[in-house]
Amino acid sequence: MTTISNEREFRAALDKLDATQQRLLAARFVTSVLPLCTDERISHAVAVAADSEASAATLAEALRTAKAATIDCHARCGAEGDWEAQAGYFVARAAIAALTPLGQLPGGSAWQAAMSCRMAQTSKSIVSGEETAGLESEQQYRMLSTYMNS
Amino acid sequence: MTASLERGLNAFREQIDAPVASFFSSCVHCGMCAEACLFYTETGDPSYTPIHKLEPLRRVWQQEYTFWGRLAKAVGLSKPVTDEELAQWETLVYDSCTLCGRCSMVCPVGNDIAYMLRRMREGMAASGHAPEGLVGATRRAVTIGSPMGVKLPALQAQIGHTEKDIGMTIPVDVVGADYMLLLSSMEIMNFPEFIGAIARIFSKAGVSWTISSEAFEATNSGIQIGVSEIAAELVQRVVDAAEKLKVKNVISPECGHAYMAIRWEGPNLIGKPYNFKVVHILELLDDLRKQGRLKISGKETQRLTYHDPCQIARRGGVVDQPRHLLNMVAENFVEMPETGTMNWCCGAGGGVSSNERADGLRLSAFKRKKKQLDVVRPDALVSACSNCRIQLEDGLEENNMDMPVLSLTETIAEHLADD
Repeated sequence: MTTISNEREFRAALDKLDATQQRLLAARFVTSVLPLCTDERISHAVAVAADSEASAATLAEALRTAKAATIDCHARCGAEGDWEAQAGYFVARAAIAALTPLGQLPGGSAWQAAMSCRMAQTSKSIVSGEETAGLESEQQYRMLSTYMNS
Repeated sequence: MTASLERGLNAFREQIDAPVASFFSSCVHCGMCAEACLFYTETGDPSYTPIHKLEPLRRVWQQEYTFWGRLAKAVGLSKPVTDEELAQWETLVYDSCTLCGRCSMVCPVGNDIAYMLRRMREGMAASGHAPEGLVGATRRAVTIGSPMGVKLPALQAQIGHTEKDIGMTIPVDVVGADYMLLLSSMEIMNFPEFIGAIARIFSKAGVSWTISSEAFEATNSGIQIGVSEIAAELVQRVVDAAEKLKVKNVISPECGHAYMAIRWEGPNLIGKPYNFKVVHILELLDDLRKQGRLKISGKETQRLTYHDPCQIARRGGVVDQPRHLLNMVAENFVEMPETGTMNWCCGAGGGVSSNERADGLRLSAFKRKKKQLDVVRPDALVSACSNCRIQLEDGLEENNMDMPVLSLTETIAEHLADD
């Protein structure tokens, strides 16, 4: 029975996962913050990432879609910041991480997706004033523990 | 004459200093500046010729400060500048100019055309002819302290999140630190991982640093819109915070115009020298490299190239440092044609990105960067300006080019050697 309880264990465990495992786990991370993003393209991209049978072509197409969605929702320099929209931007970035082939992102797909999901929660907490980022990392530890024990 | 036009023309008169007057009288009308401007080269529209963008300012100079110009005006041969003309010129001065300064580099008589455009914006803003997006950004910079409305609690939330991720404390308001780090709102909102990258690098290199809770914003909308009083006030806030914390150095982050504003224009704006040094983050990282305090492990194997942010390289002189750093972490670093001081702008600087009206033109201008990239076909593009990063991502997407855009500082942090 594996239990992940801190950041060091979390990252070390993620490093041991292969490309498909990283993608599937990253998709779980993103799914948990998906309500923070209103863009349907991201929901679709995450569904593709979560499909263990998805072909390389389907994954590549979903990645292209997620990238296009991300470009549409980043904060533009000098524009008034909207942290609620920014939460959606980080969810979109997490979806990109989930779909990016292993080796192309520093730290790996699952790690990058996890970070972006936490940033999404931080953005939400800036709007609500409630601390949620720490809760998200603990949730991710539980998700990884469950995944490793399944 | 309307009051706003009078304010604008008065501002023009105030801006016509000795350099501006000598530049106008030296211009030989060769048109070489056109071929140096990406808005001209990528659209073919002759109105985007840099010297032409200055025409109202040139007319005021000619009509009021030259004998023949005064005479022509007196006998009605030269018409005064009108409000309608300034309205017409607004898009030329703000939408089709990033103040990148490439035009100044090619002028055969040495005219600093970007300097003149910066001066001209003072008159445009005073006459009420500045884009809505920049006006809003400037208002927020003055009232909130950030052009994007980023308040201290938002920064604190990002710092809190970063501290949890990296297991380190981010120093805030530490009196007597060697370095005070400024951040752009773009970094706080779009790229908060930059804060973690800095913390990890500085921890390994043993750098004493802090962030000020009273003046953390690096950007200066006053410079972009052309209101020197506001630009000076924003610089003064940083100076006050640096003096209060008794720091020896202030770090300008990965933001192009922020460096130009705080490093080069700042002391002139506030009318006195700083009692601290200003360094760009890449200058500091390269110094750490030279001192052997930046220990790196492993290298990027993919083919990397570097986009020089104009205000950091051409206007700021930070050209060699990013290359030294890239060679530390990249096995296959390739240069695009025309880099360093002659690099082509991304197309979004100087306030263009905050001006929605300019979106189409901004993406047309990106085609120049695409041409540079097509020559070397890199796997990834590295830069050191958050605004450039967003424009590059936008332009790559628009042109169906699949290529990640990386921060140089974050790339260095990813390659820090373990103890």
